[in-house]
Amino acid sequence: MKFTLNFIKEFFDPKEKPSCIAEKLTLAGIEVESLTKENGDWVFQIELTSNRADLLSIFGLANEIAAVLGKQLKIKIPSLKIPSLDINIFIENEEDCPLYIASVIKGIKVRKTPSWLKERLLNCGINPVNSVVDIGNYSMLKWGHPLHIFDLDKIEGDVFIRRAKDKEAFLGLDKKERKLSPSSLVIADNKKVIALAGIIGGENSCVDENTRNVLIETAIFSPLVIRKARQEAGISTESSYRFERKVFLRLLEATLSSTINLILELCGGYFVGGKKVGRIIPSSRRIKVNLSSLEKHLGAKISSKEVKEILKNLGCQLSLKSKDTIEVKPPFFRDDLKEEVDIFEEVARIRGYDKLPSKIPFILPRKDNFDFVVSLKEFLARLGLKEIITYSIVARDDLETLGEKNLIRIINPLRKEEDCLRTSLLLGMISVAKYNLNQQNEVGEFFEIAHLYQRKNSHFEERPFLGIGVVGKGPSYIKAYVEELLKFLNISNYRLEGASLKNFTNALQIVKEDKVLGFLGKLDKKIRDSFALKKELFFAQLNLPLLEEERRVKQFKPFSFYPKISRDISLAKRKDIPFKNIVKIIEDVAKELLEGFEVIDVYQGEKIPQEFIGVTLRIHYRSLQKTLEAEEVDSLHNQLRKKLEEREGIFLR
Amino acid sequence: MEEKIVNLEKEARGRIEGVKTVKELEELRIYYLGRKSFINQLFSALPDLEKEKKAYLGKLLNSAKKKITEWIERKEREFEEKEEIIDFTLPASKLNLGKRHIIGQVMEEICKIFKRLGFQIVEGGEIEDEWHNFSALNIPLEHPSRDVFDTFYLDIPPSEGGRYLLRSHTSPSQIRVMEKRTPPLAVISPGRVYRPDNPDASHSFMFHQIEGFCVDKEINFSHLKGVLYHFAWEFFSSQIELRFRPHYFPFTEPSAEVDISCIICGGKGLKDGGKCSVCKGKGWLEILGCGMIHPEVLKNCGINPKKFRGFAFGMGVERIAMLKYRIADIRLFFENDLRFLNQFG
Repeated sequence: MKFTLNFIKEFFDPKEKPSCIAEKLTLAGIEVESLTKENGDWVFQIELTSNRADLLSIFGLANEIAAVLGKQLKIKIPSLKIPSLDINIFIENEEDCPLYIASVIKGIKVRKTPSWLKERLLNCGINPVNSVVDIGNYSMLKWGHPLHIFDLDKIEGDVFIRRAKDKEAFLGLDKKERKLSPSSLVIADNKKVIALAGIIGGENSCVDENTRNVLIETAIFSPLVIRKARQEAGISTESSYRFERKVFLRLLEATLSSTINLILELCGGYFVGGKKVGRIIPSSRRIKVNLSSLEKHLGAKISSKEVKEILKNLGCQLSLKSKDTIEVKPPFFRDDLKEEVDIFEEVARIRGYDKLPSKIPFILPRKDNFDFVVSLKEFLARLGLKEIITYSIVARDDLETLGEKNLIRIINPLRKEEDCLRTSLLLGMISVAKYNLNQQNEVGEFFEIAHLYQRKNSHFEERPFLGIGVVGKGPSYIKAYVEELLKFLNISNYRLEGASLKNFTNALQIVKEDKVLGFLGKLDKKIRDSFALKKELFFAQLNLPLLEEERRVKQFKPFSFYPKISRDISLAKRKDIPFKNIVKIIEDVAKELLEGFEVIDVYQGEKIPQEFIGVTLRIHYRSLQKTLEAEEVDSLHNQLRKKLEEREGIFLR
Repeated sequence: MEEKIVNLEKEARGRIEGVKTVKELEELRIYYLGRKSFINQLFSALPDLEKEKKAYLGKLLNSAKKKITEWIERKEREFEEKEEIIDFTLPASKLNLGKRHIIGQVMEEICKIFKRLGFQIVEGGEIEDEWHNFSALNIPLEHPSRDVFDTFYLDIPPSEGGRYLLRSHTSPSQIRVMEKRTPPLAVISPGRVYRPDNPDASHSFMFHQIEGFCVDKEINFSHLKGVLYHFAWEFFSSQIELRFRPHYFPFTEPSAEVDISCIICGGKGLKDGGKCSVCKGKGWLEILGCGMIHPEVLKNCGINPKKFRGFAFGMGVERIAMLKYRIADIRLFFENDLRFLNQFG
């Protein structure tokens, strides 16, 4: 919204420099976005908050500027006697339009707009049209109430304020043809729609240079109806902007009076009279303000004298109820002042927030699970994974490719194709892998912690999950990340159980007792191809609340200071025998003397049958109690060799 | 003969001393002590000599051989002890470093600053209903103040809280906590929020916010100021100035927007002889919105506003990260380009 210093001067002359006014307004909550000199006038561009309907007029701004500068303004608001006139006005529903006043001036001549008036409009961002329209706009800017002026001779019959019929045609002053719906309120005559009420006039009834007689509409329309209708019409006008917020009866009268007087002065003609249909009763409220509550709210003691002065400057009427309590009657145009805290804010902001002290409150700390998630993320980064953040809203097609069900859909998506909440972290992982491969970046391993959403019966479920993706590396990596993570959380005795999961070959579920903590697996080639992902992707997804539930505080485990003795075994196993069977034998034989083992070689080739695979293991023996003798270890190791050899499908090499 | 041995000794000593490389030394060793060396040839000639001369020359030869061996060994040790010269201008090894996402990091840093004051971190859900996202926060259902809160609605059947939606700010967690618990409360709630904005350099339909609030008997506006000063000084720098500008939010009264003095131009509005491009010459950068919790909001959560007061604030994480790290395009956060990810964390 724009206003100018000369316009303000029509009410009072602030002696302060424009830059000083701008600074003070900003610090009082009316942010001045820019201050420029245009056509010999200072133009303020301000940002208005939605609660301050009063500042949509020069009248309101003058009051505010005065208060901010520590002055009190007493502006006489013009009113008007309207001789009654016999025209028929029908309001279909008083809720849509509680008040409608039609005033008629006849015998005017549309002339050139005087330059001072033109300048006011131009500097406030409104294009001049013709003297009559310009006078209307000027009056609206000055007093804040929107009005519309019709060419009386283009109105056929009576005036109706009614809802539009379905698909009723309307050509607005913006030259746009619209098909209306019953959610729009229109002004119509016996034959046609002549205006979209409170939003824009119609081409068919506009004032032009040949106009002799005019009908001036000043009305109050329902903000909700105006809002709906202008959203549907896809426009926002100076008029609709004001109606949507708040208009005031007394300013309606002032605007009308200003308009009529200026038309008579600049365009001639005579005021025939008008007709008023409906009425509104202006409400007035009184707010009790307790000064010790004010102190408790702001944390500063402000003298009653200062409080009173600020409120008076804002136009409030005050009466003292007790030493500590003032009754405040806000000015009629400050509809936003409703209760005690609103008055607190007025005092604080006019006085300046910078004058209030700063203190640190005493807070008793309480426990939360923040550290769990942070430590988890830090740990994953320590493993070499990159943290990613991907969108929760994804394409339905992609989820359907993954066979995901029970999707939650967005009713009003930005893009039709992307209208679902994700049920898996896989899509984010695929998109990041693809993006980086396309960028020819060296792609490796990623993780993301985010919520997943799923429909459940007629309700929904939203839970945080951890996703890990490894691109272009073998299965041992994803397994290592998952195992290290579980070790970090000190979750033991879990099982990796083969499971058939959709989209994954060779998937494993991570199971602890009867709880499935998550899964890991290799993305099916078929799925990979349908997403045009050129490299293999190993993926794991874990349930975060379950991980948190199952994690345990670590306890020190003693280790041996006695020497370690290592022995190798070369064997070959049939490919269909899982390696964990061999592990089981090693553990059963070596028991507590087993410190660990490692695979030092894997061989496939001429020396062993094709359906076999050669593995060389190094077994580490160590005792917690004593130095092991070589003979002792040899005998144990031979036992192990024998046990392995006895097993069908395994032979020693 | 005798003279030859003495000369040989002398010559060997000089050459061994002058040797520069291990390879040269090895060549000398072969030359002086090898199978075909002069000393060895003399040794093999010894048996033919007369007894006395044999003993004398033998001694001499042995001594020469011993000395040369010693010199060579000493030189060898010298070489061994000498450290290899390293060319540090060679490129370093490539390490596979994990990286935290900058948004995650900034969020944690902010949370930790408040945690040190005693605030508790509570994460809320992203699927919310109209009551928690709007009505309980004193935001009327059809009002211009809702314009800034355009919202994604979901096809979940409505419940007593109204239609379901993706939260458009983190304030609903304030309501959730206040509904469930009684003061004193001091909570920070970080998380994802959603608004149907078409993506461009400064808009994203998904972004992150951090909500903070504190409710107790003696809480007032000065505490809000103190806590936010603490935050800004910890997060940006203790050189930073703060400006509390009155503003309007339906859920707080009094309300304010907080600006920090521009971190680029130091609040002067000028940089390199022109307008500062970051604060657009204003000298101030808006970082968050805040205020005293509206009594209506407390009431909506079953907290008596006559007994308790509270303050609340909310900030956009991307905006703050963009300011601090001078990132010009919000979309970079969600592309997850490794060249971006690797710059932080």
